[in-house]
Formats: sequence, C-alpha cells, structure tokens
Amino acid sequence: MALTTVDHSALKVNQTGIVATVLVAFIGSYFYRPLLVLIPLLAVVLLVGTFAPQLALFKQLYFKVLKPRGIVKPRPVQDRPEPHNFAQGLGGVFLVISSVFLLPVPVIGLALALLVAVLAFVNLAFGYCLGCQIYFQLGKRGLIRAS
Amino acid sequence: MNTQLWALAAAGTVVLAAAGLEVLRSARARRLAAGTTLAAAAEPYILYFTGDNCTVCRTHQEPALAKLGSVRVDKVDAVAERELADRFHVYTLPTTVVMTADGRALHVNYGYAPANKLDRQLAEARGGLTLEQTATA
Repeated sequence: MALTTVDHSALKVNQTGIVATVLVAFIGSYFYRPLLVLIPLLAVVLLVGTFAPQLALFKQLYFKVLKPRGIVKPRPVQDRPEPHNFAQGLGGVFLVISSVFLLPVPVIGLALALLVAVLAFVNLAFGYCLGCQIYFQLGKRGLIRAS
Repeated sequence: MNTQLWALAAAGTVVLAAAGLEVLRSARARRLAAGTTLAAAAEPYILYFTGDNCTVCRTHQEPALAKLGSVRVDKVDAVAERELADRFHVYTLPTTVVMTADGRALHVNYGYAPANKLDRQLAEARGGLTLEQTATA
C-alpha cells in the first residue's frame, strides 16, 4: 500500500487535546462533578473523527485555526494514516467503556480515561503509539490488511 | 478526592504492570532470538525489521541507521516476511538485529535503537573500535 503524507502536527494537536480534556475532566470533577461529561464527549469526538476524519475536532482545530495562523508549524511525514486512525478509534472505544463505568463505578471509569490520556501522552512525548503496534500485530496475523 | 486518588492509583498500577510485562517480554524475546543464525557475510551487518505502518521507523530509526555510514543494512518488511520476523521474535517495530560476520545474531533491539547504541554493538561484533573512536584515532 502506498505511503501518503501525514501531517504529524495534526496528530500531536489531537493527542494534546485528548490529554488536556481528560485532565480537565479528572481534576475538574473534584470541584464540579458534571465536568465528567467531557469523557463521553471526548469518546464521541474520537470515534466520529476515526470514521469521518473531516469531522475530527482537534485535527480540524489544527487545520482551520492553528496552522493557518502559524501557531503550530506543519510537519509532513511520509506515512500511512490508517494505524493512527486505528489508535484513535481504540482510544474512543476505551473512553466509551470508561463512560459506561463513570456513574456506577467512577473509579474504574476515571482510571480507564486516565490510561487513554497516559497513552496519548506517551505518543505525544516519545512517539510510541501502542495502537499502531496493535495494528501491526493484527496485520502480521492477517486479521487486518496492514500492508 | 478519594475517587480521583483511587483512579490515579488504579491507572498507575496498570501502567507499572504493563511496563513490567513489556520488560519481561522484551527480555524473553531477546533471549530466544540471540544466537539465531543466517548466512555469513564479509562484515557485521544490521537486519532492520520495518513495515509500512511504522512511523517511528521513518522518523527516528532510518535517520539513526543513516548515521552509521557504510554499514550494510538489510531492510526486511516484517509483515511480508513473517517467517524471518518470527525467527527473530519480532513483536514490535522497528526491530534491529546486529549480525556478526559469521551470520550470528549478537544483539537484538526491540523498538527504536539510537545510532550510538548500534555503533557500540557493531564494534562488539567487529571486535574492534566504534565509528566514533575510529574517527578520533
């Protein structure tokens, strides 16, 4: 499958958005519990963005606001978007599970949301994408068409 | 605050457990792959497992390999050449294997390996100096 150009700045803005939203929900919910609603909202944003990238909120923030104004510089890399979309979708699924637990068992709900934020941070800071590694493993086992 | 603290503790425990498992998995794979043999070559070389989906390979590993200069690097698509990848227990990309001239796997690096690390491992495979030491000698 041919490589295309993926703007890694858009991915970084997306990861920053995930980390920031979860942290606001996590810390903010101590003072104002309804802020927990940010977690299911983030799940929706991630899942919608996975299936319709033109609706990915944080990426659109980058393409429509941050990039044109020169706030964040583009970083195009020869890459494939599929593993990154898969990772984002996986994050969305985990946040859906987290949302289900938020009301009955908030500790589990918050812990799952924190794990998503930690993985997004690891990707942002160190470039290690766990979702992409899972995508590679699934491709290697022929469960998805990975190359 | 109790809820937040317990959630933090639970997430922290999962992260630590995952990191511990990763260390064990990597050590086990390294132990199983070490000593695997391929055809002999004139000089030590690097077997570089990569794939279309590997971003770190393009952004970090390939620039690091380029810094090694004239060292032979055999690029292998880990998905297309699954049998070879399995022989070296490749579970993550990139994976680099430093091969001795007699075709024996001396060092296996799962994940990104910086140029200076590969250089040291190649020097060990040569039984001599690193590129850096050669340049300053």
